[in-house]
Amino acid sequence: MKSPVQKLSDLGKDLFLWFDDRLHVKKIWDSTAGHHVPQSAGSWFYVFGSATLLCFMMQLVTGIMLALVYVPSADEAYATLEYLTYHQQLGWFLRAVHYWGSNFMVGIMLLHMTQVYLFGAYKYPREITWISGLVLLVLTLGLAFTGQVMRFDEDAYWGLGIGAAIMGRVPFIGQQLVDFMLGGQIIASETLSRFFALHVFVLPGSVIAIVSLHLRMVLTKGINEYPVPGMVVRRQTYDKEYAAIIKKEGVPFFPKAIDKDIIAAAFVIGGIVTCACVFGPKGPSGPPDPLQINASPRPDFWFLWIFSIAALMPEQIETVALLAGPAVIGLILVALPFFNGTGEKSWRRRPVAVIIVLLTWIGLGMLTYLGATSPWSPVMNAWSAQSTPDAQILHRSPLQLQGAVVLQYKQCRNCHAIDGLGGERGPDLSDVGMRLTRPQLTRQVVQGGGNMPAYGQNLSPAEVEALVDYMASLVPAGVPPARDYTLPQKTKN
Amino acid sequence: MKHLACLFLCLLLISGCDWMPGRPTLAQKWRSPEDVVAFKDLYAQNCLACHGDGQSKAGSITLKNPVYLAAIPRDVLRSTIANGVAGHNMPAFSVAAGGSLQDSQIETLVDGILAWADPKKLPATPIPPYAAALGDVVSGKAAYTASCASCHGPDGKGGKAGSIVDKYYLSLVSDQYLRSVIIAGRPELGCPDFSSRRPGSPMTPQAIADVLAWISFQRVNEFDQPLSQPPAQR
Ligand code: HEC
Ligand code: HEC
Ligand code: HEC
Repeated sequence: MKSPVQKLSDLGKDLFLWFDDRLHVKKIWDSTAGHHVPQSAGSWFYVFGSATLLCFMMQLVTGIMLALVYVPSADEAYATLEYLTYHQQLGWFLRAVHYWGSNFMVGIMLLHMTQVYLFGAYKYPREITWISGLVLLVLTLGLAFTGQVMRFDEDAYWGLGIGAAIMGRVPFIGQQLVDFMLGGQIIASETLSRFFALHVFVLPGSVIAIVSLHLRMVLTKGINEYPVPGMVVRRQTYDKEYAAIIKKEGVPFFPKAIDKDIIAAAFVIGGIVTCACVFGPKGPSGPPDPLQINASPRPDFWFLWIFSIAALMPEQIETVALLAGPAVIGLILVALPFFNGTGEKSWRRRPVAVIIVLLTWIGLGMLTYLGATSPWSPVMNAWSAQSTPDAQILHRSPLQLQGAVVLQYKQCRNCHAIDGLGGERGPDLSDVGMRLTRPQLTRQVVQGGGNMPAYGQNLSPAEVEALVDYMASLVPAGVPPARDYTLPQKTKN
Repeated sequence: MKHLACLFLCLLLISGCDWMPGRPTLAQKWRSPEDVVAFKDLYAQNCLACHGDGQSKAGSITLKNPVYLAAIPRDVLRSTIANGVAGHNMPAFSVAAGGSLQDSQIETLVDGILAWADPKKLPATPIPPYAAALGDVVSGKAAYTASCASCHGPDGKGGKAGSIVDKYYLSLVSDQYLRSVIIAGRPELGCPDFSSRRPGSPMTPQAIADVLAWISFQRVNEFDQPLSQPPAQR
């Protein structure tokens, strides 16, 4: 007589066999999770791929939850976000996790790509793995960009504006491309619908498809063995060598090599949740109103470097660089496994590769830093809102006091701080009288220079005089004002 | 399993606590300029830079001055905010005049500014009218010498305090502004109001109009020619 427990487990077994007979679950499991990988691939360096995938899955889940509330229309998108952020219980947290998940996904993906490059994993026979990875990078950046548009606030507006400006530079069909991207001449509801479709259907669908291909390649061509200096890849012999490695020290991915991936997953989730808790979601900032001059938008983190490039690049080469740059870089990356598909894998024997990686990261890092910290956008309401410390007001003559007013009225404060208060686009003026003489001050105001507009046309002689008299008085106590030593000493009038 | 437990704990923590540092507060919510309705914010965003608020000082006259608030009529205050001072550096704030403030916001500003008035701090002398015609230049010189010369110098060109007849200064300020300063002073900078310049003898409305005339008649045009001839001595 069988016990009821026994019976139940038999039933379970039968049920499984019934399904397995039809769906071949066990076979699929064995050939995927159970596939053999080189033991050396169970390394901390190999966790980035699975971590990226994990981020993507978190994005899917949180994204679906967001889509339950979000209304992709220009009128309501902003309101639904405000509702989520300020009124829905934990809505802000959901938004924060989705936002940080996206940041983490791009970041970890770049780490993954760096690791793959440094470990020579793109070499023969894993060309398609590499190229599908590149497609995934583009798709992910696309997701991040379209996601930023979903906020449909002034940052989104800025991003779209820059995107359209770049598109518009394409010769001959530029305008058509812009129309296609924006769904018309201007950024409007059509634009949002378009980007919503991209963000929730086209791009995630493509990612799922390409990820399948990417993983399929990992299964058919195997995971890259941990490179050993001196072990060179040759097209004729590599497959046999890899088979030998698997035979000698291959272990099933599950459960033998997955432990580090799981720990990494915990760290990634922990990181995303912590960032979401501590830093919260981004925006929404002001609504996308082209008439809203008070805006000082910044793109999301991973696009800050583009912001810097756009701000720093000399205008003459902008078109060429913006159009040809990505094309050339893309071409090189796609061609990489073909012109550099054999030879040493270990980064220890590939100094050029190491230098390229370092330069790329340092370059991107510096541009991002500039983009995040440089005060390119003026503080738009400083002219009427920023007070002036007593030290820069007291003991000034009536004319100098008027100079302080003109400094506000002409909106100099939007670009110039006094004692750290105000815009930072130009130098702080708190002690400018120590640096510049009256003629120099006059010249700067009237003729402009650097990134400062010339005010000559917009100031009356009295306003110039008041401004210069005031700025010349901005000297720290006990320090002599700037003097022009080429002139004989004159007494102040 | 452990990790799952940790994660679960984290989630529990989060759902339990609504005070996470990342949680946006309503105060951080973006507001359009029309949504700013509190007087404090309106004043801080639109006026503080040029007029100060008693605490912070600025280039132009402080509105938070009991004498000034007793002098200025409500509708003058409102129309000055709405339309600015043409030809001078006081911007027009009403939407109708190209500014960014709605009429209701201007009304809030007017209410808020007038609420600063503090009758207890007023001098015993009646406050002179906010606006009046220019007085007599010659008596103005005498009144100036009596009330102002100790600080601004014998002929206004500067002494302890700076010049008030500088041609550039005069072309930047209106007569009304000068009158307001003569009445209310710039106490925060050390320029007393009309009642306390000479202890025991406040300036009369006539003296105020005369001093103003004396200052105003020193205005010059771009060729340094006087704008108006002083009237022949009476
Ligand atoms: C659009 C922003 C902007 C505005 C508005 C602006 N400036 Fe500047 N200003 C700059 C920049 C940028 C520089 C640095 C120029 C350079 O690199 O030579 C500068 C430099 C100066 C300097 C020289 C400072 C030094 O230490 O060398 C003075 C003085 C100055 N500005 C005064 C003014 C005044 C007065 C006004 C208003 C009438 C004004 N600026 C408005 C951006 C601005
Ligand atoms: C850019 C500087 C600036 C800002 C900002 C500014 N003002 Fe003025 N304001 C001036 C100047 C300069 C004058 C003097 C104009 C003149 O010469 O008559 C003035 C004059 C005035 C006067 C009349 C003073 C008198 O002559 O009796 C009032 C009242 C006034 N401002 C209120 C305000 C209020 C309220 C705000 C904020 C909504 C404001 N101002 C913002 C510069 C400013
Ligand atoms: C106790 C000294 C003192 C007396 C008396 C005095 N002032 Fe002033 N006045 C000052 C000071 C201090 C300032 C601030 C500017 C400066 O330091 O130059 C000032 C500033 C001014 C200003 C410029 C204010 C502005 O906002 O542009 C005017 C105009 C002025 N005084 C007129 C007068 C007149 C007119 C009288 C006489 C009726 C007078 N003052 C009497 C000390 C004085």
